[in-house]
Amino acid sequence: MSAGDGRPFGAPLKRKEDPRLLRGRGKYISDIKLHGMLHAAVVRSPHPHAEIRGIDTAVLLADPRCMAVLTAADFEDMPELVCIDAEETTLPFLQPALARDKVRYVGEPVAVIVAEDRYDAEDLMTLLEVDYAPLPAVVDPERALEPDAPILHFQSNLTDTLHYSDGDAAGALASAPHVLRERFATQRYAGMPMETRGVIAAYEERSGFTLYSSTQVPNGVKTNLQTALGLPENGIRVIAPDLGGGFGVKLQIYPEEILLCRIAQRVKRPVKWIEDRWEHFVSTTHGREQFHDVEVGYDDEGRILAIRDDCVTNTGAYLQSLTMVEPFIGVCMLTGPYHLENFEATAKVVMTNKTPMNPFRGVGHVQAAFTMERIIDSVAADLGLDPVQVRLRNMIQPEQLPLNRKFGNVLAGTIVYDSGDYPTCLKKAAALAGHADFADEQEQARAEGRYIGMGIGCFVEETGLGPYESGTVRVEPSGKVTVLTGACSSGQGHATTLAQIAADELSVDMDDIQVLHGDTDLVRFGVGTYASRTAAVGGTAVRQAAGKAKDRAAFIAGQLLEVDPVDLELRDGAFTVAGSPGASVSLADVASAVAPGSPLPEAVADYGLEATDVFHPKTNTFAYGVHVATVEVDIETGVVKHLRHVVVNDSGRVINPLILEGQVQGGVALGVGGALLEEILYDDDGQPRNPNFMDYLVPGVENVSPEIVVEHMEIPTPLNPDGIKGGGEGGAVGAPAAIANAVANAIRPARIAATPLFPARVHEAIVAAGLGATVEGTKS
Amino acid sequence: MSTHTIRVTVNGTEHEAEVPARLTLADFLRERLDLTATHLGCEHGVCGACTILLDGETARSCIMLAAQADGSEITTLEGVVAEDEDLHPVQQAFWDRHGLQCGFCTPGIIMSTLELLREHPEPTREQIDDALGGHLCRCTGYVKIVEAVEQAAGELRRSRA
Repeated sequence: MSAGDGRPFGAPLKRKEDPRLLRGRGKYISDIKLHGMLHAAVVRSPHPHAEIRGIDTAVLLADPRCMAVLTAADFEDMPELVCIDAEETTLPFLQPALARDKVRYVGEPVAVIVAEDRYDAEDLMTLLEVDYAPLPAVVDPERALEPDAPILHFQSNLTDTLHYSDGDAAGALASAPHVLRERFATQRYAGMPMETRGVIAAYEERSGFTLYSSTQVPNGVKTNLQTALGLPENGIRVIAPDLGGGFGVKLQIYPEEILLCRIAQRVKRPVKWIEDRWEHFVSTTHGREQFHDVEVGYDDEGRILAIRDDCVTNTGAYLQSLTMVEPFIGVCMLTGPYHLENFEATAKVVMTNKTPMNPFRGVGHVQAAFTMERIIDSVAADLGLDPVQVRLRNMIQPEQLPLNRKFGNVLAGTIVYDSGDYPTCLKKAAALAGHADFADEQEQARAEGRYIGMGIGCFVEETGLGPYESGTVRVEPSGKVTVLTGACSSGQGHATTLAQIAADELSVDMDDIQVLHGDTDLVRFGVGTYASRTAAVGGTAVRQAAGKAKDRAAFIAGQLLEVDPVDLELRDGAFTVAGSPGASVSLADVASAVAPGSPLPEAVADYGLEATDVFHPKTNTFAYGVHVATVEVDIETGVVKHLRHVVVNDSGRVINPLILEGQVQGGVALGVGGALLEEILYDDDGQPRNPNFMDYLVPGVENVSPEIVVEHMEIPTPLNPDGIKGGGEGGAVGAPAAIANAVANAIRPARIAATPLFPARVHEAIVAAGLGATVEGTKS
Repeated sequence: MSTHTIRVTVNGTEHEAEVPARLTLADFLRERLDLTATHLGCEHGVCGACTILLDGETARSCIMLAAQADGSEITTLEGVVAEDEDLHPVQQAFWDRHGLQCGFCTPGIIMSTLELLREHPEPTREQIDDALGGHLCRCTGYVKIVEAVEQAAGELRRSRA
């Protein structure tokens, strides 16, 4: 199958990785066994906030099953987790690999115990005596900023306040005909991959450390481990096996990676740790918890004149690798596809006694889209205008692109929207969803006592993040092609999509290409997979490496055929001479001609047919999309049913529409969770209330609409040669906004300003709006 | 701690083993028999990744003890087709329809699909939802999984006809 022109690029090809996975031959971290391997259990703080007065290991060490224990006392110079996007003003509340004198959240690592078997290691945890002196905890970010609040670190619980200002928001608000004031809240939830994290560390004097880790960023983990352990580049190799999902929560170094290396070196045997699901809930990063207090000025036509946003992000107990992304994106991408003259915002980043946050799928954009799209619908409802029209009146027009949005941060640089057509995207989505006819349908349903609603969620999303990605393309003497990438799949299908790019460039069969990744000895320089970056950045590196390999092959083929390379054409794995079909040489013959063991062809200087490219995008791409959700609300119980979902998405040019559709549909399901079902709850004392799948509801098949319609606009970005923007996250970004708007539309004029829309919350809104009572009245 | 001697037939091969009373069936399969297709996603019986066929019926191997399986016949994903055989129509349908992404939940879902299509060769949408209702997938959004199950049902009906 192909896009119609026989080329693999753009074709909905089935995935190369699937037969192996479908036969049960995946190799995930927990499937790996090394000779002599021991098992670790991590002792974690049961307290949200406590002093550690002492740790007594005597009883533990007296048990013959205990092979080793590691506590803070074993570190003279305790390694800390890095934060790579801190501003100069950010207070450095960094996390030590093991808690030293204080614990600051339930789940914080306090010790590591090693035994022959995991069951024994877990038994032994009860023998470690930790003397905790509990301290008052704080979980609410506003409470954390009060003068008498418990302080987690030093000085203040406010690690930083970011300020952004453009135009004259105060003036425009003062003179605006209408002003909306509202607090929009997005709850704490998490990526929640079906596979938890895991680490295996082995140490040998000859080769140093080998670390297997379920990470999206093997090269990043390697660099961080070098710093933490004081190792040179060749002292450590990091391998990421098959990943059972990542969604962002596996994109940074975690304490266990440092701790397992240290303890494996000490016991001189490989050590394995596999996180259990309770640990995952408390020790793997969360995301999203963010509050936007907005003031919005608008005119009679629904044009937004000014926004002031006071944003608070509850980032938990410590800074993580990319803590500042959530507040930065949450505020700076707030206006999404809309034009706005006057904007003023502050983003406070607050520490509390909760598990730390770090980006996961859609970071910051989810809250931005939810807030902005609720604003637009509130404005439309207030003025009695069509929400599509209000959006169109405020949208950035295609001819205004590229558009500098002025704000930026240390990692991503200044936000400059690259290319697209937001109004057309909205019109297409509205048409596909039947938005124009929905009011009639809704009226008829209401007459039958059914509360259905339709809601729109538009977004623009920073994708294709730098700084770089590497690609290497090697043509083997057999004619087979090996592709190496610094990207690291956690289920996205890189082995297929990157092969499609290489196949496209080299004109070889997909079956002859193998994509390898996830091994720092194989791929010296790489960044990894997150921020919808692999297709745009990693794909470009593969495209350009394949191009270089092709140029070199053409030069060699020219020598072999004694023609000028410009007269050569590469097709079906062979070079032919234009105008003389008989003269041809296969890629295999070209690669064989430069394989070591025989003299090189004339004018060819080096052996091997291989090229590497490291692609540094000038700046990020900006994908965008419009979601339209249809829901039905049970007016008596507040239960929301997700009926239908339409997405029109511009991820730039599409490599594989089948895979991209799967990415978008899966993202929508994650968004359904965020909109309706998922919240990591704590009690006021800082104890997690629902760290298991019985009480924390990941969407099941019955929660997600069976009809998720996905269409693409393919407006190329000028920022890379294939015009790819990236599509891994948009599904998750637009869905909560659209679903929340659909619920609000179904039970209007009820107030909807927070997710998740648990039945109790929806019911409360129904009652407050007097809707439930009306129905009761009608019935009685 | 007490141990038990168990005899089980796994994917057609008989095994006799001495197991601690507390060893879960999932750990027995994965650690003792190296049958790692059976995955552990939650270890508290919710996510369904560890689903196997126990005497033909689906069971969650993470919340069952190996000792409880004594005398049983077990099928894991590795036993659905032999290594050198073509994919089973259910596996083929998941491949054709892009019914998996990371593949972690897939083994359990395939085992439940096999049971569903044995009991309901022409499953209704409700029956499909019921069978998949015991599984969590974080990647796909389920749309393509349902399509795969429907395709597999059609294939299996045709092959029987």
